[in-house]
Amino acid sequence: MTSAVAIERALLFALAAFLISVPWSIPALVNDFWVSVIAEILIWSLFAASVNLLFGYVGLLSFGQALYFGFGMYGVAIGISDLGLSFWPAFGLGVAAAMAMALVTGIFAVRLTWHYFAIITVVFSLIVYFLALSNKWLTGGDDGINFTLPATFSLGGKSWSFTDATFQYFFILATVALCFWLMHRLIGSPLGRAFLAIRDNDVRASLIGLNVYRLRLIAFIMAGFLAGVAGALFAFFGRYASASYMFYHVSGDAVVWAIVGGAGTLLGPLVGTTIFILVREIVSTHWEHHSLIVGVVAILVVMFAPKGLVGLWHEWLTRLTERGGAAAVETKLRTEP
Amino acid sequence: MDKLLLLAMNGLIWGLIIALIALGLAIIFGLLDIINLAHGDFFMVGTVLAWATLQSTGSFWLAFLVAPLIGFLLGALIQRVVIQPIHNVAALSIVATFGLSLILQESVRITFGPTPRRILPPIQGTVHLFGIDYEVYRLFAAVVAIAALVGFFIFLHHTRLGTWMRAVRHDRDTAIAMGVPAQRVYILTFAIGFALAALGGVVAAPITTVDFRGGVDILPFCFMAVIIGGLGNLPGTAAAAILLAFLEGLISSVADPTVARISSLVLMSAVLLLRPQGLFKGLTR
Repeated sequence: MTSAVAIERALLFALAAFLISVPWSIPALVNDFWVSVIAEILIWSLFAASVNLLFGYVGLLSFGQALYFGFGMYGVAIGISDLGLSFWPAFGLGVAAAMAMALVTGIFAVRLTWHYFAIITVVFSLIVYFLALSNKWLTGGDDGINFTLPATFSLGGKSWSFTDATFQYFFILATVALCFWLMHRLIGSPLGRAFLAIRDNDVRASLIGLNVYRLRLIAFIMAGFLAGVAGALFAFFGRYASASYMFYHVSGDAVVWAIVGGAGTLLGPLVGTTIFILVREIVSTHWEHHSLIVGVVAILVVMFAPKGLVGLWHEWLTRLTERGGAAAVETKLRTEP
Repeated sequence: MDKLLLLAMNGLIWGLIIALIALGLAIIFGLLDIINLAHGDFFMVGTVLAWATLQSTGSFWLAFLVAPLIGFLLGALIQRVVIQPIHNVAALSIVATFGLSLILQESVRITFGPTPRRILPPIQGTVHLFGIDYEVYRLFAAVVAIAALVGFFIFLHHTRLGTWMRAVRHDRDTAIAMGVPAQRVYILTFAIGFALAALGGVVAAPITTVDFRGGVDILPFCFMAVIIGGLGNLPGTAAAAILLAFLEGLISSVADPTVARISSLVLMSAVLLLRPQGLFKGLTR
């Protein structure tokens, strides 16, 4: 098992080294365009991580995370264009708006579980989506709101902002990495253990004295936080916000990315998101029907790697390093009530 | 007043068609425990098959036979090849049906093309009804939808296969112990679900447009019907579909269609939170 840990640690270092080198290595190898694709992958994988936090660690399948992503986007866009906020207050407004919305909807949603939870989350997101579409004065509807970027830091006469592509990339990388690190710490903490207990058996969890409703609500708000940060970053990245990002297809994408990558694993969402966005970017320039490949890949993965690609990799790695040893301890993801 | 009546009639008839599609969704949901995200696309495939039949044979009527049949076969194939191997694990089935939805939409976009098309109603003309001139085809569509609904319930309650379906839904293990071939019932259920949606597509094709994105709007509506009618309550689902479409038709006549959609969604949330067993409790389990 130690060698498996060593291999994974080496891979993690390689990944970190690669991500840090991107602004120099990628333009040298391919071109500048791919730096922004990788930045976009990082943002969307944070969004997929919010699905993963709920489904992979608490056992609640949310089909409405796009709502909190959209609130992150609109918090930033309305903060800058209507309220005249600068970078950090707008960022804060976006994240706070997403968390507040998660609190309000979560109070109702986490009373339900499983099918009902999946449906109520998508219903809530659809209600707000239609409200956003019909209140064009505030949201700009499908066209959205464009805004001009404020500076992120200004010190003396110098300022740094997202207009500098390298700064933009590192800001996104640092924020996403920080969120993943927080999630890693969370899972190891007593709170994270309580989440896992609820995922594996909510009746037993309540019998040992855990307040299942409150813990689910906390997880829901935390997932809202992750989606809100992702949405705020995406607003800065694209310099706009649009109601179309609240539609249920966006939520569905995140569910697919998280489950294909591996629900209940920290980096599963990153793997899933990377694969699907790479397919989209590489294939769509040659062939407009890239969704066909996305659909086929999604079906093949759930048929042949039900624990996702990271789950498959873990199984493969344990078998490789523990050949002839004791049977590997399998982490089973509870998917039925 | 005339406009109101017209919209109410349209809503009612649209509700009957939706009831057909939602019934397909409800049996798949109830029996296989699958949230079928491709169900709207099953409907869309039905509309495209209607268009293809009309183009290749010149007869729209043939589509009423061809589309449900092809839908039935496709449904059986999909269940056997994709759904069965994932052992009805609900989370995986959501991803699988999402993938299926993309595959169906893209396949139609490749073969049929990205531009929406219209089919002329095979019965032209209007009839004078309650003081308004009403399209004959819409009345015909209502008759077909009602006939199919009645036929489905007769099938479910008065044939051996229908009894098997109800038995597996009620208690799978006992049903298997009594000799019911559960796997075949699953295939049959998925196939009938697809066939019902495809039939809905044929009936609706001359009323709406034929478009590869045609299922995207239908799907949330069908889910609303299934939830408001009560999970597993098939007559409730049909009733809820008609009620919802009728109400949306009425509200659309005085306000924006978006307002109508928001009100049904709010109604659905209230039902989910307050009466998760559905509005019409007690007809079946």
